[in-house]
Amino acid sequence: MASVLALFLRASVVLVCTALATFSLLWHAPGDPALAVAIARYQAVVPDAVLDQIRTEAGFNTGFWTAFASWLRPLLQGDFGQSAVTGRDVWPELVTAIGYTVPLAVLGLLIGLFFSIPLALLATKKPGGWLDRLAVALASIGAAIPAYWLGLLLILLFAVQLGWLPAMGARTSAHVILPALTLGLGVAASLTRILRSGLLEARGQSFLPAFRRRGISRRALERDHVAPHAAIPVITVFGLELAFLLEGAVMVEVIFARPGLGTFLVSAIEARDFPKVQAVVILTAVLFVTVNLLIDLLYRAIDPRIGERDA
Amino acid sequence: MTIVARGLSVHRSGRSILYPTDIIIEPGERVGLVGASGSGKSTLGHALVDTLRARGQSVALVPQSPDDALDPLRSMQFHWREAERALGLDPDVVRRDALFEALRIEAGDMRKRPWAWSRGMQQRFVIALALLGAPDLLVMDEPTSALDPVVAAGTMNLLDAYLKERQTALLLITHDLGLAAARVSRLIVMDACHVVENAPTETVLATPQTSAAKALCAHRNWLELPC
Ligand SMILES: Nc1ncnc2c1ncn2[C@@H]1O[C@H](COP(=O)(O)OP(=O)(O)O)[C@@H](O)[C@H]1O
Ligand SMILES: [Mg+2]
Repeated sequence: MASVLALFLRASVVLVCTALATFSLLWHAPGDPALAVAIARYQAVVPDAVLDQIRTEAGFNTGFWTAFASWLRPLLQGDFGQSAVTGRDVWPELVTAIGYTVPLAVLGLLIGLFFSIPLALLATKKPGGWLDRLAVALASIGAAIPAYWLGLLLILLFAVQLGWLPAMGARTSAHVILPALTLGLGVAASLTRILRSGLLEARGQSFLPAFRRRGISRRALERDHVAPHAAIPVITVFGLELAFLLEGAVMVEVIFARPGLGTFLVSAIEARDFPKVQAVVILTAVLFVTVNLLIDLLYRAIDPRIGERDA
Repeated sequence: MTIVARGLSVHRSGRSILYPTDIIIEPGERVGLVGASGSGKSTLGHALVDTLRARGQSVALVPQSPDDALDPLRSMQFHWREAERALGLDPDVVRRDALFEALRIEAGDMRKRPWAWSRGMQQRFVIALALLGAPDLLVMDEPTSALDPVVAAGTMNLLDAYLKERQTALLLITHDLGLAAARVSRLIVMDACHVVENAPTETVLATPQTSAAKALCAHRNWLELPC
């Protein structure tokens, strides 16, 4: 119980540090933030008086800690503030962006699972066999190809050559297929490798022969004693996989000119729109911390020794 | 039913790790399988169990360590129920309690996983699992070497008493002649993947024929170990 409490405490510390780190990075970035906001807002060079006004309303001239506090306080109450450029509330725009990114990420993950589970099962049927070597080769290639390259290849093949699928934007639901495939194949590559080694290790456990000699069927053995052990490394990397998904989604959205968190973030960074950038970072951090917290709790459910070792 | 297995042999990575061997064990007989480490005792034990199982005979194996017999992620209850199902038995608490009683398993929490039990109790649980199907032959591979001598002796005494009431034969694998001598009526001595002697315990102890048996007798732990 105490260790669960420690988990929550750790999660809050991570969140506060993330907030501080992002704020400090943006604060200390080279160039005049007021100027960047002014250019984004008015599309023109503006007099010094206007720059001063921007500094005052954004709190740029109050000093780091005051500015940080005045940004953090409303945030703790769930208020993400207004865009420095348009003056509109950040939250509704953020929600719209998430509405595009979440389906993309979820679909990417599903595609990853869809390819990796059968591939890993096939590969480990005969370790070192030609199927296994093929799967390992495919996974290595998949992991080595950057998303933008794979995305371009898919566009060339399915959109340009064959003309089967739309490539740019997000007008119809078919528009999600190519970006999701780009994302999903990358996920499949890393999951296949992890699942493969997890399965091999799980099948090599020293207690399995005794179970076989006790008359327990192969099926039951795989289901009850191999699968849970093989799942542990997969759960472990799930947090990393999530990072990969988000990072990939940002890149894929830019490649496919698709609205979403990625496009939202890139345009906000270009305009030095502090509140928008911070909103994305904080949201991502909350997501990560939550998922990792869930993973830790799930671990303890599968293997309570993990919790006891920590304590 | 007399246990007869002829021509047991095992090859691994292109070489013999068990040369053709016949094993015959009378009902209720206690046989010790002794030899230095690496002489092939476990290999013979596994081959015997697998051959008999393939024939549909009732035989059970207790490995050296409970780590080799229990899944650390599954509860004791899960192991028990799973073994019952594999034997085609309906869940029966009375039968379980009788076995636990005979082996003095202070029923730890069955919902707990193995590592929440002491090693001594884990090993007794594994023995109880092996006895669940009332096997004709129980093969124990260095069953007590992972336990401290007092716990080991207690476990072996309880098992002795339990087996005496039934016609269950015992093949006790050990590298410790002292342990075997006190509990078995016949000794099979192994050396370099061969059976080199097979005779009543007193005969082997009094007049060891082969260098392997002589070495074992010389290194026998003559201190009065409890087992
Ligand atoms: N899977 C295996 N592959 C190759 N050699 C093995 C394998 N298992 C056991 N051996 C070899 O067979 C011999 C007998 O091993 P084992 O039966 O475990 O001996 P013991 O139980 O008497 O200590 C050893 O030399 C060991 O190296
Ligand atoms: Mg051995």
